[in-house]
Amino acid sequence: MAEIELRNLSKAWDASVAVDGIDLTLADGEFAAILGPSGCGKSTTLFMLSGVYTPTGGEIRFDGAVVNDVEPRDRNVGIVFQSYALYPNMSVLQNILFPLRFKQVDDADKRAREMAELVQITPLLDRRPSQLSGGQQQRVALARALVKRPNLLLLDEPLSNLDATLRLTMRAEIRRIVTELGVTTILVTHDQLEATTMADRVICMNAGRIEQTGSAEDLYLRPDTLFVAGFIGSPPMNLLAVDPSAAGLRLDVDGPVTLGLRPELLRAAETGVPATVSHVEPMGRETLYTAQSELGQVRFLEPTARPNWAFGDMLKLAFDPADTLLFAPDGQRVPDAHATWKDLAHA
Amino acid sequence: MRTTPRTRAVSDTALFLGPAIVLLAIFFVAPILVNIVVAFTDMSQTLDFKDFPTTKQFNKLGKLDDEALLGIELRRSFYKALMLTLVFVVLTLGIFNLTFALILGLTTTALPDRMGAFFRAVWLLPRMSPSVVYALLWLWVVDSTERGLFNQILMAVGFEPMNLRLDHPMAVIVVANGLIGASLGMIIFTSAIRSIPEHLFHAARADGAGPFSIIRHVILPALRWPISYITIYQALALLVSFEYIFLIMGPARSTMTMAMLSYTKTLAPQIGGGQYAYGAAIAMILIVIGILVALAMWRLTNMKALLQRPRIEVR
Ligand SMILES: Nc1ncnc2c1ncn2[C@@H]1O[C@H](COP(=O)(O)OP(=O)(O)OP(=O)(O)O)[C@@H](O)[C@H]1O
Ligand SMILES: [Mg+2]
Repeated sequence: MAEIELRNLSKAWDASVAVDGIDLTLADGEFAAILGPSGCGKSTTLFMLSGVYTPTGGEIRFDGAVVNDVEPRDRNVGIVFQSYALYPNMSVLQNILFPLRFKQVDDADKRAREMAELVQITPLLDRRPSQLSGGQQQRVALARALVKRPNLLLLDEPLSNLDATLRLTMRAEIRRIVTELGVTTILVTHDQLEATTMADRVICMNAGRIEQTGSAEDLYLRPDTLFVAGFIGSPPMNLLAVDPSAAGLRLDVDGPVTLGLRPELLRAAETGVPATVSHVEPMGRETLYTAQSELGQVRFLEPTARPNWAFGDMLKLAFDPADTLLFAPDGQRVPDAHATWKDLAHA
Repeated sequence: MRTTPRTRAVSDTALFLGPAIVLLAIFFVAPILVNIVVAFTDMSQTLDFKDFPTTKQFNKLGKLDDEALLGIELRRSFYKALMLTLVFVVLTLGIFNLTFALILGLTTTALPDRMGAFFRAVWLLPRMSPSVVYALLWLWVVDSTERGLFNQILMAVGFEPMNLRLDHPMAVIVVANGLIGASLGMIIFTSAIRSIPEHLFHAARADGAGPFSIIRHVILPALRWPISYITIYQALALLVSFEYIFLIMGPARSTMTMAMLSYTKTLAPQIGGGQYAYGAAIAMILIVIGILVALAMWRLTNMKALLQRPRIEVR
């Protein structure tokens, strides 16, 4: 299929910069997910890869060759749009056949029907898109993207319009189809679970830049930046602007820092940082508490469905200081730096 | 006072349809009725008539009335008017009101926003200026002397000046009407093109479509209803339009369409008007033709499907 390489890729409009110099290499056959908040440039990046938008800076290489100015029809990229973008005046079959009009293909009809079979929409081939459910439209869009046997498959939030159950099935199904075809794939999503369950590698974007790429575990346990620390994980990581002298902590670095600690790593104990519960949120399997402590406002999680604490309860919160992450004022994590207790009473 | 759902339904209907029905009755139905009555009289300049009902006026158009030379003359001009109307409507509609309007819509939406808006505004200018001014401009353009704009251009590239109004009268009125008429289609097509979701263009580009395939497979299907609408609307408008023909060509025989004929026979006293009943008969035939054309296109374009479904529910 294809190895994809982005070098300092940018896209600017008159008023704004949507993509601000990103570097990325995807191995042949890799499944990567781009994760990021709304408006961070995910769709714009995909549009540049597919050739719909021309980059205003940097390079896109497919298997080493720069394709910045290559027309979409010569790129062989399949894309599923956020809104599916099926042609309303064409039947499902015509929609799937459409990309083959622009290629020299002898067995177009046969290929389209094979694709329909693969995504399981064969009984719907004569319908119009308006007569399909969201999930069915999504499969048609997928078949249309795959029918030209693309070297690169781009999926722009393909599951965002589906209900929770269908989303779960489609996740597995897309993964199956993509693995079957061995095509290099980029999935765009806001949904962390989707990114981490489907992709080999997660790319976290913010404000037109790549904040971090890595496995889901990397991003969760070792976020490179404050943004990733705050964005990945639900409930989000506690990010505390600590005054180290007051909190009874000794930090590995000097100067002002932000201390990061996952809510599930805090627990109520005999000794620890005194705190008062200010909010209780039962979340089904577990309960999320918000508490005011000497370190500031912290959230912690307990794995019981029924709350152990109530508003106003005073308790002590313990944690292993080796689990803490320290972020410098520029938002970058200080590698291998943690907090330690000053007096051993806490430990 | 409490209203029952039934009286409520009646009053809602009256509220929604009332004004439209009143306007229609006063400005459309009443004149047509008057026209039909007059067409079956022998009303002349003095506005009084002796015969009613009489088919005298229609007999003049068929072979039934034998007033010797005058009868033949009237028949000739009537059949010629029918032909001229057909040519005028088909050419203006086909070349300008649809094709050219479509080209304007496509090109101005492909331009950057401001430039597109500018060019659309330019094409709207003639519509905003008084018809007399527009007609005067055309009179200058097609002037048969060397001062005419067209002739100046011809001479500049080495041709003889020509008298367009004499040699190509139909071309003059088709172009003059078309350049004004195209702006309506342009506006309608532009807004229809703009309402096509952006993602369809992106999808078509990504699927490998070039500009012409995008026009053919994305834009034109979305313009189906606007094209039907413009065709019906403009065909009817052109059938009865005579203003620019009269202002540019005067009562020339070469451009005496049905509408012109009806006008000159009735309301243009210095050139033989005052034959109210005869003019009304022609107007009535024009109305019948208009209805037939509208019905035919209604069927042809399945316009019914578009207008049928109410989008808000009024009980
Ligand atoms: N055609 C355009 N003209 C000007 N600005 C644009 C255009 N398209 C996108 N932008 C801007 O570029 C930025 C990135 O947009 P993009 O669609 O790539 O975001 P996204 O990450 O896909 O967001 P979402 O998750 O909401 O789909 C946004 O700030 C947006 O306003
Ligand atoms: Mg997007």
